[in-house]
Amino acid sequence: MKSMSGVPGMWLRSGAGWDSLRAAWHYLPIAIVLLVWQVVVEFDLVNRAFLPSFGETLSALWEMTRNGEIGFNLLVSLYRAFAGLAIGSIIGVAIGLAMATSRRADEFFGPLVATTYSLPKSSLVPLFILWFGIGDVASIVSVVLACLLPVIVSTYHGVQSVPPVIVWSARAMGTPHHLIMWRILLPSSLLSIFTGVRIALGFCFVLTISVEMIAAKTGIGKLIFLYGENGAYAYMFGGLFAIVVVAYAADRILLVAMNYLLRWDDSIHAAHVGD
Amino acid sequence: MISICVKDLNKRYRARDGDVAALADVDIDIAEGEFVTIVGPSGCGKSTLLYILGGFIGADGGIIEINGKAVTGPGVDRGVVFQEYALFPWLTVAQNIRYGLEMSGAPRQRCEETVERLVRTIGLQGFEHRFPRELSGGMKQRVAIARTLAYDPKILLLDEPFGALDAQTREVMQDELLGLWQATRKTVMMVTHDVNEAVYLSERVLVMSQRPGRIVQEFKVAIDRTCEREVTVLNEDFNQLRNEVWLAVRRQAGARSV
Repeated sequence: MKSMSGVPGMWLRSGAGWDSLRAAWHYLPIAIVLLVWQVVVEFDLVNRAFLPSFGETLSALWEMTRNGEIGFNLLVSLYRAFAGLAIGSIIGVAIGLAMATSRRADEFFGPLVATTYSLPKSSLVPLFILWFGIGDVASIVSVVLACLLPVIVSTYHGVQSVPPVIVWSARAMGTPHHLIMWRILLPSSLLSIFTGVRIALGFCFVLTISVEMIAAKTGIGKLIFLYGENGAYAYMFGGLFAIVVVAYAADRILLVAMNYLLRWDDSIHAAHVGD
Repeated sequence: MISICVKDLNKRYRARDGDVAALADVDIDIAEGEFVTIVGPSGCGKSTLLYILGGFIGADGGIIEINGKAVTGPGVDRGVVFQEYALFPWLTVAQNIRYGLEMSGAPRQRCEETVERLVRTIGLQGFEHRFPRELSGGMKQRVAIARTLAYDPKILLLDEPFGALDAQTREVMQDELLGLWQATRKTVMMVTHDVNEAVYLSERVLVMSQRPGRIVQEFKVAIDRTCEREVTVLNEDFNQLRNEVWLAVRRQAGARSV
C-alpha cells in the first residue's frame, strides 16, 4: 500500500484493496454471530453449562480432531451423505429425463412425485430402521429419497425448457433419436440439473445427520447426539462445527465445478452464481 | 429437375377457440440450384412452411416432396438455418461446425479438415475455441451457416437468417450468402420479411398472403449478379422490381384490416 499512498483515491480503485473489503463484508454476518456468541457467554447472559463459548468449542474440536474422533466419524458421515447424493442424483436425472420426454413416464411418475414432494423424508426413517436395521443402508436410503425429488423436478423443468429449435437443428443435422437425450437435452438442461443437485446437497447433510442421531452407531450425527445426551456441549458444538464447515466446503466445491462446466452458459455469468 | 415440390399444402393449428388455418393450398416448385425467397407479412405462416419442409412439424394434407421423396421427418439432405441461429451453446465454434459431420460418421481427419476450411471461409480463425456466447450476432450467423455447409446438404432452408443483425452486418452477410450460392449452386429456399433482401438475393420471389398463407404473387428476378452491390442496388430495374414486390407485400399486410 505504501507505494499508492501518494495517490488519493487509488486505494478504492485498486483491485486488491477493494476485493478484500468486499470479502470482509461477505463474512461480516458470520463474524457478528461468533462475536455475539462469545459475548453472551463471557458476560454470563446464558448459563455456561448449556452454551459453551466459541473458544471452548474450538478447543473441544481440536481435541476430537487430534484423537481421531472427528476424522473417523466425518468420513463415515460423508460416505453416507455422498453415496446417497450420488445415487439420488443419478436416479433423479434419469427419472426427470424420462418424465420430460415420455408422456407415459410423466403419467407414471407424476402423481408420485407430486404427492411425495412435500413429505418430510425424515418421517420415513423409523420405517427404514425396521427394514434395513441400524447403519449405513438406512441412512443412505433416506438420503437417496430426499435427494431424488429436487433433482427430478429440476431436471424435468430443465428439459422442458430446452428451446424446440435446438432439438430441431440437432435432428436436421442427423442426430438419431437415441442420441438427442445425451447430446442435446442433457447439456441443455445442465444448469437446471445442477441447481437441483445443489439443493439435494443441502438435504443430504440434513438427512445423514438426523438419521445418524437415531439409527446409527457411528457418524457425526451420532457423535453430536451422544455428547448432547451427556451434557458435553462443547464437544457437541465441536461436532456441529465440523459438519458445518465440511458442508460449506462441499457447496463451494460444487459451485466451482458448476461454474467450470457451465462456462459456456450466458445466464450463469449474468446471475453471479457463486459470487 | 424439381428439388422442392409442394402441392395443396394445408396446415391448421389447434387453438383454444377452434382451429386456425395457418397455410391454405400452398403450391411451390423449386428447381435444383434455384434460389427462391418467400416474403409475406408477419404471422402469415412462412416460417411454418419452412418448418414443414424441414420435417419438424407435420402438415394436414397435401404433397411435400424433396427430390421426389415425401418428407417424413428431418433429414441431412436439407440444411436449416434458424432465425436465432440455434447454435449449441455448450459447444465451441469448431465443435458446432463439426457436429453434423460427426453425426454422419465421417472420419476424424475429414472432420478436422472441413472445420479448418470452413472456419477460414467464414473468417473466424482464432475463434475456433470460443463459445457462442462470446460471439457477435454476425459471427454466430456465420457459424450457423458454416455448420450447415459442413455436411454438404443439397438444399438450404433459411428462416429469416439475417433478421437479428444490424443493417451493415446484414449487407455483408447477404453478399457472403450470394457468393456462397454462386459457388456451390445449392437449392435455396429463404423466408424473410425484408423485400430488399429478397429481391437482391433470389432468382424468384414468392409473395405470401395474410393468414391463412397462400402464394399470391410471383416475381422473376433477372438481374446481373456478377456486379458489385452498389451497381445492382442503384440499378433502375432492381428498384422497379423491389417497389413492385414491396407494394404486393404491403397489400397483403393491409388486407388484415379489411
